[in-house]
Amino acid sequence: MKPFVLLIEDDPQIRRFLRAALAAEDYQFHEAFTAEEGIAQAAARQPDLVLLDLGLPDRDGLEVIRGIRQWSQMPIVVLSARGQEKDKIAALDLGADDYVAKPFAVGELLARIRAALRRSARLATDGADTVIRFGDVQADFEKRSITVRGEEVHLTPNEFKLLQVLIKHAGRVVTQRQLLNEVWGPQHTEQSQYLRVYVAQLRRKLERDPARPRHLQTEPGVGYRLSLDHTDADS
Amino acid sequence: MADTTELQIRDGSPADLAEAAELKATRSGSRASWREFAAAVIIVGFATLIALALRPYLAATNLAMVYLLGVVAVATRCNRPASVMASFLSVAAFDFFCVPPYLTLQVSEYEYLITFAGMLVVALVISAQTSRIRAQAARAVERESRTQALYRLSRRLSTKTRVFDTALAAAEVAEEVFGAPVTIFLPEEGRISFRKRTSDQLLISTAEEKIAQQVFDRGRKAGKGMENFPEAAATYVPLKGAGRMVGVLAILPGTHGQALHDDQHHLLDLFANQTALAIERTQSQNAAADARMQMETEEMRSSLLSAVSHDLRTPLASITGAASTLRSQGEKLELAVREELLESISEEALRLSRLVGNLLDMTRLESGMELRRDLYPLEEIVGAALQRMEPQLAGREVTATVPEDLPLVNVDDVLLGQVLVNLLENAAKYSPPGSAIEIAATATPAAVQLEVRDHGRGFAEGEEKRLFEKFYRGKSEGVRGAGLGLAICRAIVMAHRGTIEALHRDGGGAIFRIRLPLDGRPL
Repeated sequence: MKPFVLLIEDDPQIRRFLRAALAAEDYQFHEAFTAEEGIAQAAARQPDLVLLDLGLPDRDGLEVIRGIRQWSQMPIVVLSARGQEKDKIAALDLGADDYVAKPFAVGELLARIRAALRRSARLATDGADTVIRFGDVQADFEKRSITVRGEEVHLTPNEFKLLQVLIKHAGRVVTQRQLLNEVWGPQHTEQSQYLRVYVAQLRRKLERDPARPRHLQTEPGVGYRLSLDHTDADS
Repeated sequence: MADTTELQIRDGSPADLAEAAELKATRSGSRASWREFAAAVIIVGFATLIALALRPYLAATNLAMVYLLGVVAVATRCNRPASVMASFLSVAAFDFFCVPPYLTLQVSEYEYLITFAGMLVVALVISAQTSRIRAQAARAVERESRTQALYRLSRRLSTKTRVFDTALAAAEVAEEVFGAPVTIFLPEEGRISFRKRTSDQLLISTAEEKIAQQVFDRGRKAGKGMENFPEAAATYVPLKGAGRMVGVLAILPGTHGQALHDDQHHLLDLFANQTALAIERTQSQNAAADARMQMETEEMRSSLLSAVSHDLRTPLASITGAASTLRSQGEKLELAVREELLESISEEALRLSRLVGNLLDMTRLESGMELRRDLYPLEEIVGAALQRMEPQLAGREVTATVPEDLPLVNVDDVLLGQVLVNLLENAAKYSPPGSAIEIAATATPAAVQLEVRDHGRGFAEGEEKRLFEKFYRGKSEGVRGAGLGLAICRAIVMAHRGTIEALHRDGGGAIFRIRLPLDGRPL
C-alpha cells in the first residue's frame, strides 16, 4: 500500500515542488496550510507520516508536534530554516522524528522520509532485530557482543547502552538531551560533556577514522545520528 | 581654591612646597613638643655630665664646646623651639656647672659674659641652620613621595581606555596614597549619579548626594573639613577638566578616623586635577573612536549594498535566464543542454543560499551574537564539518589529523564548525580539483591550534591581513564569492578570543591557522 503523507506547509512554491516529488515517489498525500488545519487533518486522516513546516501563519509549528504527540506516535519530519538549532532541538525533544534544513535537495528529504517510515514500520511489528550490521560493525544485542571486522570489541556498560539507544533510533537525529536521559537518566540531562566524551570513545572503537565518522555522525548544536546505510567506499 | 590649585600644578611652585613642609613641621611640633623638649633637656643634661667629668682637666671656655656639641645634637633631632630652648639651657648650665663659683649663676670674672654671649649666638645659629636643613630634607622627602604618588597615578591612568576604568584606577591609587576610602562619582546626563560610582560599597549615604551635586555644579570643594557642609561624612573634590566638570571625588576619613592634613589636601587637589584631565582625555578618545566607527559602519553599509546587489543579482540573473530559456525553448533544446541549464539553476540557487547565509551570519556576529560555549572534542567538530562539506570535497584526498589526547576546547560548536566549513570551502575553491586538503590539530600548553592546508595557488604576498576583511576578494581570477567567508571566520575566532592567520605554504598553497586559548584568556 502506498504510504500516506500529510504535508503541513503554507508556502505555495514549496508545496508545489514537494507535491511533484511526493507524486513521483508514488506517495499519496494531503495538504494543509495552517497549524489548526494540520492538527485536525492528522486526527481525521491518520497519515503514515507528517511533513511539517515550523513557520506557519497561525501558530508555531512546534504546537502541531505537541498536539499530535498527545495521541499518536506517527512519524513527523520537520522542515526548518538553517541556523535555528534551538527550533530543531525543541522539535526533536517534543517528539519530532527528524528534520531537514531549508534549502534542501529533494533527494535528502525523500531519504529522511523513507527512514522515518521504516522505523515506524519496525516499531509497529515490534520486530527489533537483535543483530545489527553497519560498516565494519556487527552488534548482537542478545549476546551483548560487538565485533568490528570480525574482532570482538570491549565496550563499557555506558558505551554499550549509548550504542543501543543510537541503534534504536538509527537514521534519525537524537538530541543530546534525549541521549543523556535514556543512557544516564533524567537527572543527568544537562551534562552533555559526558556524552561527547563517550561518543568520542565509541567512535575510536567503532570507526576507521574517528575524525571522519561514517556512522556515528554529529549534528552540530543538536545531537547525534547513527547512520546504518553508509557503506565504506573501499569495503 | 581650585583655581590656585591649577596654578600650583603648572609652575610646581617651590614656595608652596616649602610652605607645606613648614606646615608639617609646626603640626608635628605641636603634637610631639613635650617629647622633643624632654629630649633637649636630657641631651643638655648629658652634656653637663661630660663637662663635669672633664672639668678638672680643661679650661672652662673649652667646656663650652661640649655644650655646643649638645646643641648640635638637639638641633639635628628636635624642632626649632626645642633647640632654641636647648641653647639657652646650655648657657645656663655652663654658667651653673662650669664657671666658678660653681653651682651658682654668679660669675667671678666678667670676661665670661663674652663667652656666654658668643656661646649663645653660636648655639642659636647652629639650631637655626640645622632646623632649616631639616626642613629642606623633609620637603625633599615630601616632594619625592608626592611626585611618586602622582607618577603612579598617571602611569595607571595612561593605560585605561574607558572612562569608568580610569575613574576606578584613580580611586584605587588615591586610596593607597591617602589610606582612606575614596569613591569617584561620574555624571549621568549632567547630574552626579550615585549609581555610576567606583566603589560598590555604600560607604557614603545617598543623603550626601546633594553635596556631591553642588560640588559638581559649582566646581568648589565641600564637605568634611571645608567651609561648606563641614558636617558631611566625606570631603568632596570636584574633578574639573580643561573644558568641563567630569565628576566628583569623595574621600572619607581614614581607617583611624583622622582627617586629612593640609598638605594632603594639597596633594588631593593635584590628584583630582590629574584624574579629571585623564577622564577628559579618555572621553575625547572614545568620542573619536565612535566617530571613526560610525564612518566605518557607513562605508561598510555602502560597500555591503554594492556587493550584495551584485552578488545577489548575478545568480538571480542566471536562474531567471536558465528557467525562462527552458520554458520558452525547452522542446527545441537538446537533452544535454536542458540538463546543463537545470544544473546551473540548482548551482546558482545554492550559491545564493550560501551568500544569504553568510550575510546573515555576519550580521548576527556583528550585532554581538552570544556564544553558546561548552567543552567539545575538536575531533567531533572537524568530523561534522567534513561531513557537511562532503559533496564539495568529493574526489579529493582529505586527511584530518587530530591527536587523541587533545584537550577539550571551550567553544560554540556550531560557529567553530562554520569556520571550518568556510575554510574548507575556500580550500576547495582555490585549489585544483582532486588536490589534497589537510586538517591538522596540535596542542600547546596554552592553546589548541588547528590548520587547514591546501595545494592551491595560495594568495598574493601582502594579502595576509586583507584576506580577512569584509568583501575583500583574493587576487586569483576566475573564482567568485562575496568575500565574506574569511571575514566570518575571523569574527567567530575573535569572539572566542583566538587568532586566525593566513600563511604561505612551502611549495605552493595556503595554510589557515586558528589558535584557540585553552583557558579562555585572549592569546
